[in-house]
Amino acid sequence: MKCHIPGPNVKVLGRTIHALARFGDELYLESSPDAILLRTLNAAESAYAMIKFNKVFFSYFNYNFYSTDDKEGLKCKISMKSALNAFKSPTHMDKQVENLEIKLDPESCKLIFIVKCKHGIVKTHFVSILDCKAMQAVYSKDLVHSRITCSQKIFTEALGNFQSSDDQVTIEANSNSFIIRNYIDCNIDLTKVIRTQINIKPTEFDSYVIGTETIITFTLKEFKALLGFAEALSLPLQLQFEITGKPVVFIVHNGTTFEAHFVLATSKPDTNTQASSTQNSSAVKRKRKEVHIKSNSPIKKKLHLDVDLSKYLDEDSHLFNYIDIPIEKDLNNIDELVHNKTTGSQSILHDNMECDNIIPASPTSKIKIKAIFKRCFESTFDPRSIQGLVLAENSDSE
Amino acid sequence: MKFRAVMIDAGPMREFTNIVSTISRLSKECILRLSPDKIYLIVSEDNSGPAPPMLWCEMPQSTFFLEYQIVGVDDEHKDIYLGIVSANLSKSLVTLKTAKCLKMKLTKKQCPCLTLEIEMPSSTSQQSRQVTHDIPVVVIPRKMWSEFHEPRVPHPDISIELPALKQLRTTIDRMKCMSPEVVIRASAEGRLTLQIKTDLAKVSTRFKDLRVEAFEGPIDHSDSETETQTMEDVSRTCYCRVDAKKFSMFLSADQISHNRTICSIVHKKLVILCLQTEENVKLQCFITGIVY
Repeated sequence: MKCHIPGPNVKVLGRTIHALARFGDELYLESSPDAILLRTLNAAESAYAMIKFNKVFFSYFNYNFYSTDDKEGLKCKISMKSALNAFKSPTHMDKQVENLEIKLDPESCKLIFIVKCKHGIVKTHFVSILDCKAMQAVYSKDLVHSRITCSQKIFTEALGNFQSSDDQVTIEANSNSFIIRNYIDCNIDLTKVIRTQINIKPTEFDSYVIGTETIITFTLKEFKALLGFAEALSLPLQLQFEITGKPVVFIVHNGTTFEAHFVLATSKPDTNTQASSTQNSSAVKRKRKEVHIKSNSPIKKKLHLDVDLSKYLDEDSHLFNYIDIPIEKDLNNIDELVHNKTTGSQSILHDNMECDNIIPASPTSKIKIKAIFKRCFESTFDPRSIQGLVLAENSDSE
Repeated sequence: MKFRAVMIDAGPMREFTNIVSTISRLSKECILRLSPDKIYLIVSEDNSGPAPPMLWCEMPQSTFFLEYQIVGVDDEHKDIYLGIVSANLSKSLVTLKTAKCLKMKLTKKQCPCLTLEIEMPSSTSQQSRQVTHDIPVVVIPRKMWSEFHEPRVPHPDISIELPALKQLRTTIDRMKCMSPEVVIRASAEGRLTLQIKTDLAKVSTRFKDLRVEAFEGPIDHSDSETETQTMEDVSRTCYCRVDAKKFSMFLSADQISHNRTICSIVHKKLVILCLQTEENVKLQCFITGIVY
């Protein structure tokens, strides 16, 4: 694959890389006959971004430059840090850079960026390829019932009201009102946090269609990153969402040249926890700590995606389709199995985090934990519930 | 207990935001005292013992609020004292500079909250949007009110107007790096001297021709270790050694548009800094002197 990107578009690419860097640590690049796709996934696998640059974005585009027989196009995974190195200071890039050439040779283990700057300076970045896999999230787009189109400004201004310590937001949307709130976790002391709510009139949006009224919660960090991206390119933003538990998709596109999809996992806010006692919440905290040790990964919600392929329907923990370069079905299956196993421990989180019935029952370990603490939650002590030996008998009633 | 207030003018809103953000920089927590005619923001010393307040800010409600309703616990106790995290209040008020209207309410939403309802104009259309912040507060019981009374201070020996706070602040911030303590010296002739001493140097900055508001001389220097300075009548100057950090903290109040700032000194004991604005807001800071 070989392509040339003209100066002004290099800035767009730079912005894209910077936005993606706020999502994940690895960048997947894939070339197809008429486009280049950049993808990333965050560490908690709760956010995914895909940006597609069509042929017209490039001044020269040849996906089969090295004339291999491979019809699949090339795929590679590089580290985000090395990609960022090639796109330092995207704001000034359009003034300095005249042309950018990207080369990907199937035989080589490097992805090459050749930056041709003014005054004949040529910078060449050889970026190591970590893997030859492609990654793809499965989510539904354009089929959903709720869609909002607006300028990113509305959201940027709204988010300005939140505290810097807030990490998730809840959107409550119905046909007459649109409310954004900061998400209050069930184990946070209510006397310590500010609850903020912003009520935006639906008429402020360019278009506003809500199929079913819903409440969705997603992370703020990635949301801010994609708003920054839309702001830098001054393009409108389209939100597509369904119901709680289904991902929310943000689309930024510029007609024919490129299209960006940002997919964020959603969870339902557990409303009943706000009334829960302090005892309860401390128990939850303890429980969560245990889970944390087990999974040994930063806890976040797991991406719960709507999978349209029937074979994935009953395994909700399987989200991503890892495609090996020479597609061997057996190998792929093993890969899936391994993936399922590793995510198995993480799926314990589901019930804990989302308190949501949509998610199938977790492994038993969690129920065990529940049983240990169960008696604490009972309002009164019932001696009949204790069965077995009485170690110390009641003293005489006299 | 009930409290409800509405603010609609841009000027007072900006002023209010500035005051609150200044206080949030001075202290993590503060006491918001609401009374029928004034609202107070009170900061006590951090190592909260039975120490007198360090910062005392009073604002007449009539210049800030269009509507102001307050009902205390009973007729004798008309005030409401609320403990609040000052950063929470200031962060919620950041957007107030562009707001159309602010409603403040005392609410009970699972815990006592000060609810701020801010009406924001939309940048994209004529519509306005409603932002609600529920800031958790602690209602201070009546028996503890006495801790937050205005401190009774001895009559100052001298009151002198301070030069521009910004200028003073840059001076103090430099001095602060060299020495933790600064000696503030004021004379009846309108001279203000800030002085630090280190093992290596003695640095002093003098401001001349300042207006002296009051002078209760002569000052008794009989027990003092100060070296007599020539050219100056010692009995007409008084000084106090204070914590440079605290002094510099007060000077960050320069973002509040103020009329004048008075520095009153009780010889060797106390420095009272008082900032007054056009809206009759009074921000007072009490810094006790360090005596060896």
